[in-house]
Amino acid sequence: MALLPLLQSVSEWAPIVLIRDSKYGMPAVQSFHLLGLTMLLATVVVLDLRLADLGMKDYGLPSLARQLEPWTIGAIVVVISSGLLIFLATPGKYLDSRPFRLKMALLASALLFHFAVLRRFTTPDSVVRPRLINAIVAFLSVTLWFGVGWAGRAIAFIP
Amino acid sequence: MPLFEWCQWLQHTRFATAITESDWLFPLIEGSHILALPISVGMILIADLRLLGLAFNGEASGKIVPRFLQLSRIGFPVMFLTGGLLLITQAGKAYGNPFFRTKLIFLVVAAINAAVYQKLLYPKMAEWDSASGAPAGARFCAAFSLALWIGVIVCGRTMAYQF
Repeated sequence: MALLPLLQSVSEWAPIVLIRDSKYGMPAVQSFHLLGLTMLLATVVVLDLRLADLGMKDYGLPSLARQLEPWTIGAIVVVISSGLLIFLATPGKYLDSRPFRLKMALLASALLFHFAVLRRFTTPDSVVRPRLINAIVAFLSVTLWFGVGWAGRAIAFIP
Repeated sequence: MPLFEWCQWLQHTRFATAITESDWLFPLIEGSHILALPISVGMILIADLRLLGLAFNGEASGKIVPRFLQLSRIGFPVMFLTGGLLLITQAGKAYGNPFFRTKLIFLVVAAINAAVYQKLLYPKMAEWDSASGAPAGARFCAAFSLALWIGVIVCGRTMAYQF
């Protein structure tokens, strides 16, 4: 496959080498990844609690969603760009990792679910839906996003 | 017994080694410590951003900030429990780690900052909403809290590289 030589040459690119080999390069990028995760999952939890009618009940769902969205999207940009740097610095650590593959599959599902499904439930003109349906959508959203996090942690422990 | 030797002893107790040697216990505790971040620190960050006028400007801060602080109370017990367990298993290694020491200092200062906020500013929050946003003191506390919690996360992540 042509992907591996390409990834190897990218991992030898000077800025990537600097991140990998300097004393605080990787901890700094990992810290950004963790800060992004904190903000991303915090905004998701607030939105899903409201959707499931478990919290923030006296706030309108569309208005909460609108005010959370820039922070969710900003956090997604931070986690993906820092994650890409971590991957490019040490691709060998991730290419054959089963938890990493699972993490990427869950990430793609979570993103798709967030922007294709969840969004329809939080727009101002969305019709009133049964509470159970809302709760299921909120549960799936939280499960997918936290699943990404757990799969990420598993990379360190499972081959 | 000096603190360092006590930490060494703690790390080698049967309780600590049982966690360290378990295939799933340590990953479970460490994973929970990290994934409780959004429901603890994350909620504080959102509250701070609101006080600074950077998020949720459409909502009265006197009403919405306490909501986020309430939500953070779900995550913090998990944080302290799992953090305490992680510390027990690595006490000897953590003792001399400059990032661990800095993290502890940041946590103590963040707690003092939160107590000051609770005591001096929290009771007056309802008055701000009729005025033009949070007063300078509250904004200072929020910015300080934001910086401290970011520091806690950065130190927590970095200390693991030195184990």
